[in-house]
Amino acid sequence: MLTFNQVHFYYKKGHSIIEDMSFTVHPGEFVAIVGANGCGKSTIAKLMNGLALPKQGTVKWNALDTSNQSELADIRRQIGYIFQNPEDQLITTTVRDEVLFGLENIAVPRTEMDQRVLEALQAVQMESYIDAEPHQLSGGQKQRVAIAAILAMRPHMIIFDEATSMLDPQGREQVLHIMHTLHQQGITIVHISHHMDEVLTAERVLLIDQGRLIFDGSPHSFFTDIAVADYQLQVPFAVRIHHQLQLAAPVATDWKEAIRRQWSINSNR
Amino acid sequence: MVYQLQQVSVRYQDHDVLQDIYCTIEAGKWISVIGQTGAGKSTLVQVLKGLVDVRKGEYLFNNQTVAKDAKGQIQVRPEIGYVFQYPEHQLFETTVAKELAFAPKQQRWTASEIKQRIEDILPQVGLSEDILELVPFQLSGGQKRRVALASVLMMNPQVLIVDEPIAGLDPVGRTALLQYLHQWQQQENRTVILVSHHLDDVAQYSDEVLLLHQGRLIGQYDPVTLFIEQSHLLEQSGLVLPESIQLLKLIEQCSGQKIEIDSCREHDILAKILPIWHRKEQTFG
Repeated sequence: MLTFNQVHFYYKKGHSIIEDMSFTVHPGEFVAIVGANGCGKSTIAKLMNGLALPKQGTVKWNALDTSNQSELADIRRQIGYIFQNPEDQLITTTVRDEVLFGLENIAVPRTEMDQRVLEALQAVQMESYIDAEPHQLSGGQKQRVAIAAILAMRPHMIIFDEATSMLDPQGREQVLHIMHTLHQQGITIVHISHHMDEVLTAERVLLIDQGRLIFDGSPHSFFTDIAVADYQLQVPFAVRIHHQLQLAAPVATDWKEAIRRQWSINSNR
Repeated sequence: MVYQLQQVSVRYQDHDVLQDIYCTIEAGKWISVIGQTGAGKSTLVQVLKGLVDVRKGEYLFNNQTVAKDAKGQIQVRPEIGYVFQYPEHQLFETTVAKELAFAPKQQRWTASEIKQRIEDILPQVGLSEDILELVPFQLSGGQKRRVALASVLMMNPQVLIVDEPIAGLDPVGRTALLQYLHQWQQQENRTVILVSHHLDDVAQYSDEVLLLHQGRLIGQYDPVTLFIEQSHLLEQSGLVLPESIQLLKLIEQCSGQKIEIDSCREHDILAKILPIWHRKEQTFG
């Protein structure tokens, strides 16, 4: 369980980035964090695994406190972080070394390493690229290698910080599929995204505005109760179509299927 | 102004990134370049900017061959502004203000001219003057992208190349930025060359679309021809149609009725679809 308790954060005194923020992410949840550019989403992600430390309040992963230096290594081993640009995360000359790097840092026994590397690459379907050079891969493939490097450390939670925003539609689809598969396997997922269709598939949405938590609820209630445009966001196409065509099916239903069904029902009346 | 590529090929190491490209970029148009990752989109626009050596073929500017040496590159580069896919590749100054002032200073603009231009540009790209003294690398991903665009727009280039300009921008900011670029392009009669994976934006703003697949140019089309009449080309190139056009095709399929479309903008497509849908509701509802 990850807990923010009255967290404040700033880079420069007087320029608050996060203000009095409290929330809990429960084990196994899939949480989307949304908000305008510069609202503090990435700072929250960095606070979650101790890349940034609160100026006031506490960020705790179970009993571990990010402000306690001796507990940071444990926290970071259990909470993985995937950056927006995979280039920021890949540093070695082969895919194998990339996945090994984290394991070496956390002193995993050498006898275990090969198996962990293979399992992690299999989970993201990149095992056939084990000897490839990371810089020769496509954006989606690079991001999958970055995920494998995190998975090898067997985290309990993974933060995807706009990890799909620089990918082409295919790469994005691949990463989203992996995200949902990992969630089904019990890993807690925190997904920061501007793609509102991705937010629809989360279990819970946190809306951030100017460093404050404005909304915490289901995607359905988010798109129904919140004037999302006020926060630089947009109702996804699927929801717009449901409203414009007054589809009877729930919003979560595939819009194409809902249209086919309604057209067919009307035709058979 | 006209930029033309004739049978242009580019090779990196032993791999042909572009092969036998013929295309014409005319002034005053919004031209989008689309294709899967690795199709050669970024290389194509880098050729136009004179950043990449052409292995074979000719690059013509106003019907004159652009020399393959530094002299040729100097001939085409000043007219063309280029916003890179990753803003980190072009930001280097210690403050946003210095970043924006860099190019104008090289052109010996006065301090008051620079100040005035910054005041004009910042709100257009969704930034406030509060960030002028911040370090560009401390900004959020979306803010860095806006600063990179603003720094190029400072010089009001004849041609603006934007490589994935909206990745990481919030949705309203993304729409506002594209609308501003469209307005700037129309009012100033500028040329925009947009590289994008967002085909809904491409359908919304383009006068012409260049479709690339595996280093080859499949064709240069107007949006209606490509997205409506030749949409199979997109599927063959591994691309997915914008959702509004998927909706159009679904309603055509359900109704058995061909819907005539003269614009690929979502708003225009919905205006054609909604009456058909509601007539159906009224008939049977």
